[in-house]
Amino acid sequence: MLSFRLAILLLFRTTFRHWRKNLGSYFLLVGIVAVGVGAFNGIRQASRSASANFGLFNQAVSGQSDFLIESSTQRLNSNILQDLAQISKEPDWHLLPVIEGSVTSLDSNGSPDQQLRLVGLDLLSLANLPSLMESKFDFGKEEPNWYEWLGSENFVWIGSEAGRKLGIEEGDEISFFASGRVREMVVRKFIDASSVSFPDDLVIGDLPTVQNLLSRKGELNRIEVIVDQIEMRENLNFLQGIKDRISKNLPKNLTLKATQNRAADRASMTAAFRLNLTILSLIAILVGAYLILQALDAAVVRRRAEVATLISLGVNRGVLFITFLFESAVIGVLGSILGIGVGWFFAFLSAQMLADTVNALYFATTIEAISLTLQDCLFGLCLGFLFTLLAGWLPARDAMQTPPAQILSRGDWSPGFSWLRKSRVGIVLILSGLIFLVFPPFPLAGGGKMAIGGFLASGCWILGAALLSGHVLVRLAGLIKPYCAGPITRLVFSRLQDGSSRHRLSVAGLVVAVGMVTGMFQMVDSFRITIEEWFDVRFQADLYVSERGVTGAGTINGIDPLVMDKLVHENMVSYADIVYISYAKPPEGITILSGVDMKAWSTQIRQLWLKKPGSLKPVEGCEPALISETFARRFDLIDGGFIELDTMTGKKKISPIGIFSDYGNEFGTAAVDIPIWKEWTQSERPINVSLYLGKGSNVNEIRDQLRLSYPGLDVRNASELRDVALGIFEQTFKATSALNGIGLMVAFAGLLLGLFAIFDESSRTWFTLDYLGFSRKQFLLTAGLEGAAIGMGAWISGSLVGVALGWLLINVINVQSFGWTLQWHLPWTDFVIFGLLLFAIGFLSGVLSAALWIRKQK
Amino acid sequence: MRFLFFNYFFIFQILSAEWIQPPDRSPKGYLVPSPDYTPNFPRDHGSHPKYGIEWWYWVGHLKSVNEKRNFGFQSTVFRIAGSPEGKIYNSIRSFGNQNLFLVHSALSDLGNKKYIHHERVYREGWQAKASLDNLDLSVGGIEAKLLTEKNQQQVITRYQNGDRLELTFSPLKPLIVFGDRGLSRKGESPPAVSWYWSYTRLQATGKLFQNGKEVSVKGIAWMDHEISSSQLGDGLEGWDWTCMQLKDGTEVKAYRLRTKDGGSDPWSAVYWIDTNGKTVEVYADQFKWESEDQWKSPKTGLIYPNTVRITAFHPDYGKRVYRIRPLLDSQEFTGTRSDNAYWEGACEVLNNEGVPIGKAYLELAGYGGGLGARLN
Repeated sequence: MLSFRLAILLLFRTTFRHWRKNLGSYFLLVGIVAVGVGAFNGIRQASRSASANFGLFNQAVSGQSDFLIESSTQRLNSNILQDLAQISKEPDWHLLPVIEGSVTSLDSNGSPDQQLRLVGLDLLSLANLPSLMESKFDFGKEEPNWYEWLGSENFVWIGSEAGRKLGIEEGDEISFFASGRVREMVVRKFIDASSVSFPDDLVIGDLPTVQNLLSRKGELNRIEVIVDQIEMRENLNFLQGIKDRISKNLPKNLTLKATQNRAADRASMTAAFRLNLTILSLIAILVGAYLILQALDAAVVRRRAEVATLISLGVNRGVLFITFLFESAVIGVLGSILGIGVGWFFAFLSAQMLADTVNALYFATTIEAISLTLQDCLFGLCLGFLFTLLAGWLPARDAMQTPPAQILSRGDWSPGFSWLRKSRVGIVLILSGLIFLVFPPFPLAGGGKMAIGGFLASGCWILGAALLSGHVLVRLAGLIKPYCAGPITRLVFSRLQDGSSRHRLSVAGLVVAVGMVTGMFQMVDSFRITIEEWFDVRFQADLYVSERGVTGAGTINGIDPLVMDKLVHENMVSYADIVYISYAKPPEGITILSGVDMKAWSTQIRQLWLKKPGSLKPVEGCEPALISETFARRFDLIDGGFIELDTMTGKKKISPIGIFSDYGNEFGTAAVDIPIWKEWTQSERPINVSLYLGKGSNVNEIRDQLRLSYPGLDVRNASELRDVALGIFEQTFKATSALNGIGLMVAFAGLLLGLFAIFDESSRTWFTLDYLGFSRKQFLLTAGLEGAAIGMGAWISGSLVGVALGWLLINVINVQSFGWTLQWHLPWTDFVIFGLLLFAIGFLSGVLSAALWIRKQK
Repeated sequence: MRFLFFNYFFIFQILSAEWIQPPDRSPKGYLVPSPDYTPNFPRDHGSHPKYGIEWWYWVGHLKSVNEKRNFGFQSTVFRIAGSPEGKIYNSIRSFGNQNLFLVHSALSDLGNKKYIHHERVYREGWQAKASLDNLDLSVGGIEAKLLTEKNQQQVITRYQNGDRLELTFSPLKPLIVFGDRGLSRKGESPPAVSWYWSYTRLQATGKLFQNGKEVSVKGIAWMDHEISSSQLGDGLEGWDWTCMQLKDGTEVKAYRLRTKDGGSDPWSAVYWIDTNGKTVEVYADQFKWESEDQWKSPKTGLIYPNTVRITAFHPDYGKRVYRIRPLLDSQEFTGTRSDNAYWEGACEVLNNEGVPIGKAYLELAGYGGGLGARLN
């Protein structure tokens, strides 16, 4: 207890006194922890905000749903309601059929303007909902004229804010694209959104009206179940009782699940995506921890004389250890508290970016308000505290071991961390990484896989490389030094060859960031090149047609079959490769069932085949299918076999006859013949078509002609399609790039801090040089070159580990997580540019640190 | 409760007993019930979508067969027509837009002093359908159909927590057609008439499924089926209505339309149905409806005069006094809109000396002010 009190006393009497002297450095340290914690927390919050509102847009009107009745295809026929009529009789719950789709409003020039979510509900039945009564939601006082708007062809309701954005008034018409057609809807009333959270892009209408507007007559997406006694929602037994009663009479092809489970299902769809981001966001903390270690070590060195004096005066070494740990804890706590705010700010900045990515790749979502939970705060605090405490451990131990007599006689030069001088730990880590590579992937909920071995290996390699980077720096300096003629370069490389702990830590922190960034360079570049090559092979048609204005995975309405029929019978079309897609339910998670012209796909349509059609023998009694590589890896069908998929018409078995490369999604695609797809899904709605034109056709002329004839369709030639696809691809990596940027930012800040500590420690050297006539300019140049050399050292070690990480990301993590085989490509130019950048930033950091040091000395 | 239904859309007025020829169509364009119409059953037990409004109404008193438990019940289905020009579909569409249906269900567990009730509104479609050819209704939690045997009706009513009442009704008297020339006049306005057909005494047998247990029940019930296209009138604040089933085998139906000044509208009436199904009636000047006690709802704060003394002059038997006493005070139907709350419940009927002479169902509507506001 006495030791504790003494440690606190020392903290205030000595430590904080040092803080006051180096306020800027400590601010920077706290800032670094804040950015690290902020990056991690921000990604957590932004992911949650971007994915939480996963498409139950009707809840803005109808309130929270308790259960969802769905089919495996996420699509239902209205006829199913007759089978549910018996269930709907019970007054304990309300069944709310929902249809939703995306439409795109047109601007005054007839071009796509704003994407809107169109949701259809039985507006009359809303009057029964308890939450509606509570929210005092008002459609306008039109009850006596209900028959005018109920089931009308095009009356819709929008929020008044949306009306303002669209520049329309009540009663105005909005033209929009949906299902390949141009349609009109009439805004009957603005909804006063003050009482409910009504998204700006939400349009609601009566269910038959929306079915009509979307040209999806008789279709539903799901049926939501809302309990009548909403005050009983917290009672799990009550909810289970409701679930049991509904399940008892539920048609076999439908599933009932708690709404939260859908959230979990959806969350599992993006699990791999979020995991990657989370791991990336840890880089900033990891780099930050290096910097804390480095800064506290520097503090120990600066105060070693003081420590020695304290020990001489009888202060227990344990007390000194606790004092230094306290110091790091204070940095950790302050940084983490600040980091929570920084995290909120990052989340605010990145939520839309993540939502766009989730929209593009997974399912329709909107951003919910960024919420900061108690869990976020605690998590951030614990993380920051833990990392800084770990980082502070070694300097604290170092301080404890200070030999007073020796230090008081020798001065302030630090003996440094002996472990940094031993390459053994680094080599062990690198070798451990190799062992982790053989670990099998860990299965995630929802059918995804986590490349646990890959991630552990990358962690080991990064840490190993960071530890070894000091040795590389020393060796390189030793190699270069003999060729240095001038005093400045000789001095720089001599100092680097000495390899102080500070030099080694500076380069190690930078190596972590450089390794990750160069690793990501390769993955992004390899991905882009693979996709481009895939495009060249796969997309050989003349024109590509899809629903206009709608982008992303979760916003698909498909094309009206009548429009498609007319299109493919146009004179100029010699062959149309029509594609149909729907969701299907494998035993775990969700996947995509596609309908294609199997004969043409097996013989004429070019594909990147992993296994050519016919190379796998279908299992008897199963429908032959062409499956994507992702599908094959996910369900272990690389060498054939079969899998049962739950479709709208029950469970169906498919067996692969060929495997193709597909980078369109990570859920996997199984393609069966079109008539089979139609039979299984009970749908006629295609998603897109590739048009092959007659010989000698003028592709762009026909494209323009089709655009005029079919204003609701997007007609693109191959290069335009490539641009769109690459746009989505770029979107995917936006969050990744942002995190890389944060990691680098922290690393550069650390470099600055590290160099400043190095120069501070070398005060005697500088004074001696000054005495011998070393000019300020020469001093600044020396400092700049030292910084630049550290940057280059980090670049060399970081690039080496980056190449290994790139290989790991492409050949292990991607394959195991997403089932994608990418061609490994090293972006040399990017590497070189990055090296030059590091050199420049290292130089500038050196000069700046030296200038700060000079200013301090004055 | 049926009167309360008007608070959504319509009201009627009763002015005098003299014959007023109704027009073919109401001002809104719906068909108006015609005089001298001979109901064609079973078709006329079914729905009449060309007419503006219609309801099927069952109330009654039940007793458990093996236990000494008593219940009251109300099961009502309303139909409201959409546009008079709207297309009438014979096939079932999932989401129709030409008819709305409302369901009011209530069960009074008199021994346990519990009253459960709920209200729902549906559009014609997958949750609400009514046959055009027969009594065959399925609207939310209420299903009703005519059985082939002896004009029996089967009515299933669902309540919260999975409770359910399944009853079979056997008419003990022929169907009563109320009103002059088959039209029940509701006010001075020519189209304010209805076809008003009632089974005033039905033998009820069936089962109550409550808390997972099955209880056999039997008792006496009352059923109304009324069709009209009337319009809402001015000056009324609400209605008090009752149907009494007396131990002597006769029934009494009485109602008063309350004016804002606290009086009764002239078209308020009392009907007596004798043991053979013959009816006689008197109007407002021949009866008094007085409150003997009242009950304040803890939920809505409304005050209902639910203990009533009706003094009426029977054309043949002279003065008659009926004292109606609730068997449970808390039989307030709050529904989904608080200003539409009404009281409707099981009561007993006493004579002037306080001797029980029968059972009644009493409805007290428009005490929340919202109804009055809507009426005027």
